[in-house]
Amino acid sequence: MINYEEFKLDNGLKVIFHQDKTTPLAVLNILYDVGAKDEEESRTGFAHLFEHLMFGGSKNIPNFDTPLQMAGGECNAFTSNDITNYYNTLPAQNIETAFWLESDRMLELAFTPKSLEVQRGVVIEEFKQRYLNQPYGDVWLNFRPLVYKNHPYKWATIGKEIAHIENATMEDVKGFFFKHYSPQNAVMVVGGNLELQQVKDLAEKWFGPIPAREKYVRNIPAEPEQTEARELVIERDVPSKAFYMAFRMGNRTSADHFIGDLCSDIIAGSKSSRLYNRLIVEEKKFTSISAYITGSLEEGLFIISGHLNQETTFEDAQAAIWEELDNLEGSLMDAKELTKVKNKHKTSKVFSEQSLLNRVMNIAFYENMGKLSEINNVLENYDRITAEDIQDFSKRIFARNKQSVLKVNIKK
Amino acid sequence: MNRSIAPNYSQPESLAIQFPEEIELANGVQLFWTKDVKDDSVKLDIEWRAGSKYQSKKLVANFTNKLMLSGNEDRPASAIASEIDYYGGYLQHELDRDHAGIVLYGLRENISDVFRIVTEAFSAASFPQKQFEKERTVASMSFKIESKKVKNLCQRRFNKAIFGKESVYGQSAVEEDFTAVEQEDLKTFYKEVYQQGTPTLFLVGNVTESFIEQLKKWAENFSPKTINYTPNAPEQEKGRIANIEVEDAIQSAIRVGRLMFKKTHPDYFGFQLLNTVLGGYFGSRLMANIREDKGYTYGIGSDMAVMEDAAYFLISTEVGIDVREQTIQEIFNEIERLQTELISEEELLKVKNYLLGDFLRHADGPIAMMENFKNIHFNLLPKTYYSDFIQAIHNTTAAELQNLAIKYLQRDDLTVVTAG
Repeated sequence: MINYEEFKLDNGLKVIFHQDKTTPLAVLNILYDVGAKDEEESRTGFAHLFEHLMFGGSKNIPNFDTPLQMAGGECNAFTSNDITNYYNTLPAQNIETAFWLESDRMLELAFTPKSLEVQRGVVIEEFKQRYLNQPYGDVWLNFRPLVYKNHPYKWATIGKEIAHIENATMEDVKGFFFKHYSPQNAVMVVGGNLELQQVKDLAEKWFGPIPAREKYVRNIPAEPEQTEARELVIERDVPSKAFYMAFRMGNRTSADHFIGDLCSDIIAGSKSSRLYNRLIVEEKKFTSISAYITGSLEEGLFIISGHLNQETTFEDAQAAIWEELDNLEGSLMDAKELTKVKNKHKTSKVFSEQSLLNRVMNIAFYENMGKLSEINNVLENYDRITAEDIQDFSKRIFARNKQSVLKVNIKK
Repeated sequence: MNRSIAPNYSQPESLAIQFPEEIELANGVQLFWTKDVKDDSVKLDIEWRAGSKYQSKKLVANFTNKLMLSGNEDRPASAIASEIDYYGGYLQHELDRDHAGIVLYGLRENISDVFRIVTEAFSAASFPQKQFEKERTVASMSFKIESKKVKNLCQRRFNKAIFGKESVYGQSAVEEDFTAVEQEDLKTFYKEVYQQGTPTLFLVGNVTESFIEQLKKWAENFSPKTINYTPNAPEQEKGRIANIEVEDAIQSAIRVGRLMFKKTHPDYFGFQLLNTVLGGYFGSRLMANIREDKGYTYGIGSDMAVMEDAAYFLISTEVGIDVREQTIQEIFNEIERLQTELISEEELLKVKNYLLGDFLRHADGPIAMMENFKNIHFNLLPKTYYSDFIQAIHNTTAAELQNLAIKYLQRDDLTVVTAG
């Protein structure tokens, strides 16, 4: 059970406090409702590059990290297609340092040319390290535009190409900041060994004076329904053939999210799952297999992917997966199999809520979805799912004319 | 309000480590138990002296660990996995050079069942041919994929250089090892190292006494024998080692390091502080110079790894191919700066405060506390280890750190490996 108290500042900043008296620590987390999906197609990778620039000094504070480390703190951030999230963990008695630092960069960044130049370099190296200099590293750069034709999910958070990052100008940076980094576009969650009044006072003191800015209204092109099977084959210098299959499904806030999640566990969530046993142990067609949902805030995906054994052809692999998908559609699963995947969620929820940082981030994430009141209902959402729901989901989602398939072939 | 002035802060106080209760189960099998857990979670670590250094043939320790719950002809691995899943249990296999084992995650209501299924499978393990062949195929493919990454090629060569050919710590598998390993090797290793070994149990959870009884019963199965193992002293190959060429690579991996001492050495705490200044946190000198000033890399860091029979210090990064030599030069420049200039009081205070905060972050909650205890237990450290460490952080001076840099970071004592 995650406890919380909400309040709002006059400038529109939403603040949520989560008390935990058992820890000596406190966390201050700010989620900005901006991700790669808010970029223009000709200037991708910007939300993420911007996240790096947020550490390059703000209006009144030349360096973000130094004072935080001085107060015993640590920080980090991440960007996804949907959101950008910043978090600071420090000894509870020093929490004001985080209020001071985060409020100054919400007020205004320093916008130094040196920071932009250096972080462009850092991000380009990140692009190389994670997406280009790794076997299969560029799969999603190629797969996204196959699956999404209109929606900005068609590019990855890192960006479509290195050139977009190289070309980023200071003008772009400033424009992005004032458009997206306003108090109304953020959720702040403070958690740990603190008191509500203390958090209210600090929030008012440091964030209260930040002026409200024009509210950004998102207007993202919808992705039309997919009606034809899609396929892309790429050749790379890799040791094994790899296979990726995607189906469009509901978003993070739909009922399908929970059904799809259980369904992916049944298909390939563990060593007792259907595909693992059949394709890896019995038939030895694959050397790895996984199934998962992307859980995106808009236009989610159901993904099945794996590496093929040397002798397996793509046709074989695809046919084997379809056989299992057809089974899910054709017959109701037995109760024990369904209970199995539900029980695992029960355990993992208890462990995931042990971490203060996880709880705080989760609150921010739920508030950003507009679903904070449901944060403690997660297990009920899984529990109510029936075998019929799984079957119905499979029938709706797994259709041959709605599949997108990417095959990575071995370059000769 | 003047936003350019930092709010007041105070130095983080140290947190007392909660020590688990120690229970002798049977046959020398020890249980360390932390009962004071506020939720229903239960984590049970079972560790043997079954790390890769005990194997006489490469991959045997790894395969045995992975397959020890894969059943027998009557009861297949899938049935075991299904049952563990049914009770909501999670199972993790763990292996390093010294230790190996399994970790069980469950809830109070089901941990007894999860443990029963796991231990029944453990007793009945016969390493069936089908499972063995599966593991061979899966592991060898994953090895081939990992071998495409410059960071792994670099690390393997570094291990070989730092420990020398004679030390088991320096060995890495090659592709042929995957065909050489046999089913019989696993059975032998399993019997000698696991069944005749002495596991140590680390339990974090508010479980009932009857569960402790269940653990006791299980411990009665063991008939410990001493393992014959004498470590070879590591022998470091110093200096620059020829680049490992990787066709089409667009980044180079770099490793710079040397053999070091154990955690009981009088210079250990001071060197850890020095390591933090150099590359142990985001604000470190290597990050400030090579990432935040030059933009050569996404990340660079340094660390110390301490194992039972050897320890090493290591700087690691991946950088654009074109800036590989500049990066190595900058690494040496930063080391030289530590040797020739005193660290400023302000920087030293920052690193000290950061580290004190880090102790808090790493001691938050009973599972984290147990990890701290395991460190003390396996490294044979005094119970005052963490308070001694914190005291040493407070006391260490810039001059002492300069001396440590001179003593331990001489260029001639370092090994440099690059790949890509």
